[in-house]
Amino acid sequence: MKASKSLLSIILIVILVMSFTAMALAQDLDIIPIKVRCRAKPPMEDWRGLNFLIAEQSLNADLEAVGDPRRVKVEIIQDNLDWGEYITEFVLGYGAGESPDIWLTGHEYIGTQAEAGRIIALDGIIEEFPIYNLVFDTLWDCTKYKGEIWGVPQDAEARPLYWNKTLLKKLGWSDGEIAALPGKIEKGEFTLYDMLETAKQAVDKGVVESGNGFWTRPKNGPDFTPFYYAFSGETIDPATGKLVFDKTAGLKYYGFFYDAAQKYGSMGCLGLDWSTAWHPGVTSKVLFWVGGTWQWAEWAEKFLKDLGGEAYMWENFGFGLIPAAEKGGKPNSLTHPLAYLVSSQCKYPDLAVALIAKVTNYGPNTRHAIASTHLGILKGQTEYKFYKGSRLLSEALYMLDYTTFLPNNPNWGPYSTVTYEALAAVVAGEFTSQEAVDFVVEGLNRELGDKVIIK
Amino acid sequence: MSNNFQLERERSSLSSFPDTKSLFSKLKSSLLPYTFLTPTLVVVTLFFFIPLVMVFILSFTNLDMTNFGILKWWQPANWTLDNYVKIFTNRFFPRILNNTLIYVSMTLIFFNVGMALVIALITTNINRRVGFAFRLIWLMCRLTPVVVYIMMWKALAGPAPMGVINKHILGPLGIGTGEYLLNTNPWLFIILVNGFIGASFGMIIFSSAIEAIPKDYMIASKVDGASTWQTIRYITIPMIRWPLLFVTTYQTLSLLTSFEQIMLLTDGGPGLYETEVWSLTAYHRAFTSYFGNTQWGYGSAWAVILVIIGIVMAIVYLRVFKFDELIQEPKIDQL
Repeated sequence: MKASKSLLSIILIVILVMSFTAMALAQDLDIIPIKVRCRAKPPMEDWRGLNFLIAEQSLNADLEAVGDPRRVKVEIIQDNLDWGEYITEFVLGYGAGESPDIWLTGHEYIGTQAEAGRIIALDGIIEEFPIYNLVFDTLWDCTKYKGEIWGVPQDAEARPLYWNKTLLKKLGWSDGEIAALPGKIEKGEFTLYDMLETAKQAVDKGVVESGNGFWTRPKNGPDFTPFYYAFSGETIDPATGKLVFDKTAGLKYYGFFYDAAQKYGSMGCLGLDWSTAWHPGVTSKVLFWVGGTWQWAEWAEKFLKDLGGEAYMWENFGFGLIPAAEKGGKPNSLTHPLAYLVSSQCKYPDLAVALIAKVTNYGPNTRHAIASTHLGILKGQTEYKFYKGSRLLSEALYMLDYTTFLPNNPNWGPYSTVTYEALAAVVAGEFTSQEAVDFVVEGLNRELGDKVIIK
Repeated sequence: MSNNFQLERERSSLSSFPDTKSLFSKLKSSLLPYTFLTPTLVVVTLFFFIPLVMVFILSFTNLDMTNFGILKWWQPANWTLDNYVKIFTNRFFPRILNNTLIYVSMTLIFFNVGMALVIALITTNINRRVGFAFRLIWLMCRLTPVVVYIMMWKALAGPAPMGVINKHILGPLGIGTGEYLLNTNPWLFIILVNGFIGASFGMIIFSSAIEAIPKDYMIASKVDGASTWQTIRYITIPMIRWPLLFVTTYQTLSLLTSFEQIMLLTDGGPGLYETEVWSLTAYHRAFTSYFGNTQWGYGSAWAVILVIIGIVMAIVYLRVFKFDELIQEPKIDQL
């Protein structure tokens, strides 16, 4: 009896000691909330944020292994706000002291946010994570501002010229000619004006309605810049870092869009809603249009699922680079990489960067790339077993060799607004190309003064 | 006579109280109205007056997304007239002004005052229950949440074969080619969409004003052989001058500052600034931009000019409608 009492006492003491030890250990753990803010179109781009949930477990395991008492708790905020509202939210949130720790955004916003001190330079932190060496060097260039790295590239894409194969066949093109078109564009044999001529033929023969020969996005955005580049336009002066507007290139650029709308039965798209603009594009009412590779997944999911989704798209649509302006010229495309930035209000930037390192790997990035038809960002990713499973990603990859970028400058916003307003005016027939250039010069001088170089 | 006597007694009894109590009483009676006014005063100061002063100051600064938190906008050293110069030298300034005038005047004349008056006159001259039911139905546009309301209009204006108007009206009549009607006739839809909502406000005010006109005047005019039009012209309209002033002034100012329906319907399009009105420009400049370059200072300058236009319009209305005369005590009460 006495022995059993002693045994019971010993067991109780052991339990108490173990409980206190566990409590003490538990109290030593420091739970760090990391707020991740992503812009993503559901369901295609959900992995932008969801990858962090998997990364959280992995990072916490790493921290435990090295005896670090900190543990991260990821909170994801993810929706599909317009870019303008998305940026405003971050800036006002920062002003209120409530910015997210990790903020995913377009690389062109880095200049603005870095100047305002809302994000931190990552040099010195990222060196501790060799996985970052896998990211393409050109993509790192996008996240550099004043010689420092301010963000980690998240994805990339090409912005191809799409065409409707069925409509080209109605126009008399053979299967062979259609299949050869991407190659002809790449060699500079099929120019921008060849495209407009084809569009005009389609309108004249009643294959498409007037205005539907060639379409772009319906509102301001990055898709117009490659056309300006095609006419040898420059946007940034490498020596001073200032924005540039080239009047000679601008005249040709606006002339092209004036001709497209006024002479070649195209550009009946400006001002439409997004779905109103894309729906005809992918339902055989428009011959040529400019979009992004990521929209391949979006169109298949949103508009063409009933017709067979991606299989239908491969059968009916083709794509290539943005053609050169002149015969033998160089075609181009534009990549608009998104990047994870770390807020200067983040208390543990090392953990934020460690989390980003976890999602910057073949597995997580390929999940996102396949689901959203964005291009990979890592060296050797094309050899990754699962990446190779996506036909679009493989066939569009060569476009990265011809890619261009938006300038990383804090004043790109006003620059873009003024140049787009002029474009909308020439498309509407309100300005000639010369008037458009005059309007841009006057507008840029008014808005930006000596922050822009007019050539 | 007896009333006067009673008043005299009350006065004498009041004067018998000590002076201190009288002072307290006076103080209390003079402070009481202000006590009741205080909550309103606080709300108006916090949510209208202070923001107005801030917007006014901001309009002289170049505060935007790039320098938020950096620029000390409250310091006079950072104030310039640049935003106002930018507005008046903007190539689209005349178009935006013209759009605003078209929008306000057309909606006001044909709907917010015109249609409202017509509905009020008709529904007060028919069976009372039918008139009431009709007014209730008309109020539905105002009761419907604005986003739902606009989505309904978009469905109506949609291209064939989805658009209701194209499919069921224009198509069978062989009119048009089934285009998106918001692209082909944006102003018509903007005025209709705003007008149907706006007319309901005047309809209620005018109906109650017409109902309040003593029936004797109407009967007298009929006895004198006045036609319906003469009754309206010489009795009804003069008797509702005050509500007419109120509705016209209120709706002008309301239309000048309203933009949500236009934003949801066309967002200033379909062409370049085609349906962009002043308040929408202020909103666009201050709060929207594809690349996030929202310009709060510049947007504020557009808003300040709108406030000035509104004040000028209000003063003009008060003069035109002879506001001083309207608020005078009726001559019959002065006798």
